[in-house]
Amino acid sequence: MQATYARWLDAATRVGFAISLVAFLVYVSGAVEPFVPLEQLPQLWTLSAARYAEATGAPTGWGWLGMLGYADFLNLAAVALFGLVTLACYARSVPLLFAEGERLQAFIALAQVLVLAAAAAGFFTGGR
Amino acid sequence: MEVTAVPWWVWPIALAAVGFLIGVVAVLAGIGGGVLFVPIVGSFFPFHLDFVRGAGLLFALAGTLAAGPQLLRNGMASLRLVMPLGLAGSICSVAGAIVGLNMTADLLQALLGALVIAIAIVIWSTRSAEGGLVDPDALARMLKLEGKFTDPAAGTRIDWKTHRTLGGFAAFGAIGFLGGVFGLGAGFANVPALNLLMAAPLKVAVGSSGLIISIINSSAAWVYIHRGAVLPLLVVPAVLGVMLGSRLGARLLERVPAQLVRWLVIIVMLAAGVRALLRGTGLWI
Repeated sequence: MQATYARWLDAATRVGFAISLVAFLVYVSGAVEPFVPLEQLPQLWTLSAARYAEATGAPTGWGWLGMLGYADFLNLAAVALFGLVTLACYARSVPLLFAEGERLQAFIALAQVLVLAAAAAGFFTGGR
Repeated sequence: MEVTAVPWWVWPIALAAVGFLIGVVAVLAGIGGGVLFVPIVGSFFPFHLDFVRGAGLLFALAGTLAAGPQLLRNGMASLRLVMPLGLAGSICSVAGAIVGLNMTADLLQALLGALVIAIAIVIWSTRSAEGGLVDPDALARMLKLEGKFTDPAAGTRIDWKTHRTLGGFAAFGAIGFLGGVFGLGAGFANVPALNLLMAAPLKVAVGSSGLIISIINSSAAWVYIHRGAVLPLLVVPAVLGVMLGSRLGARLLERVPAQLVRWLVIIVMLAAGVRALLRGTGLWI
């Protein structure tokens, strides 16, 4: 099971890095317009996250999913993929652990999947 | 020149450079780079601490995800050990992230300063134990927190077991909470908790620590993402920088005296900690 986890982790991380790099180049090259112009960021990143959202009208929670046409939110989506890598690896591990008869470990892994899925869904932060 | 008048593109380049240096130093000093990123960038860059902590979590997350596969393949990280402790840390890190995002920046900065100074002292004073065959407690037996790995340096196979499992859960709950509040990777605390408290061999503790950071930070990162506290312009250059720096650090590992680097890290952390403390208390803005 550890070998399978390592394989999934390797593949998912490589994909995450590649997508992040491409999305970042798209962002800073100006090939796709960002929601918040890059030139304005030095005046805005001194604000707290809440005041930044107020000042720019940037969405919180999952609202950014509807903004993927903008380079900055496309890049955010790419970065957010890193937050899904562990979830994917654990989700793959659960059936393997049950198949190996490791029920206690399987339930721990399942609980971790639920925690990560709830965090990703915004359950703890009103992100739905 | 006002910092807001500096062109935007200067900052990602500066972050990539800082990430690179952190990558080199972190490998040489044997600590996670995440613990250096937030105090340094939070104290010496103009970004609000919300964005620095969001970037810090993803910075530590990306680094540990990249190292994870190799650590798992060579047996230095034990998934069996990581899973229950990571779950405790992960739940507490979400709580920590929510608490952190509801605190004022000044209070956070002052607390971060105090914490970073304390971490520098921990790094300075921590010694390692060999670990190995201890008498496992009932919970460790139930969770089968044991394993074996071959140490290529010594050419020996080591069978290991752990004990003090409840203490381990409490330690990783606290580590996860602090990691969530301050956006830190917590390798500095994971390794002593696994090695000194639970008696895992040092190499297994170091390897498993990275994997635990990847689990803990994944949960907390989502809280920051959903609250709008992640600016990709800060995250991606730092991540790319640290990846390149880590490679150079690994190459330099045999040539640079580890003790010298360790002292360098302690001095940098003390400087960043004092700066954060003074900034948070309003004594030096």
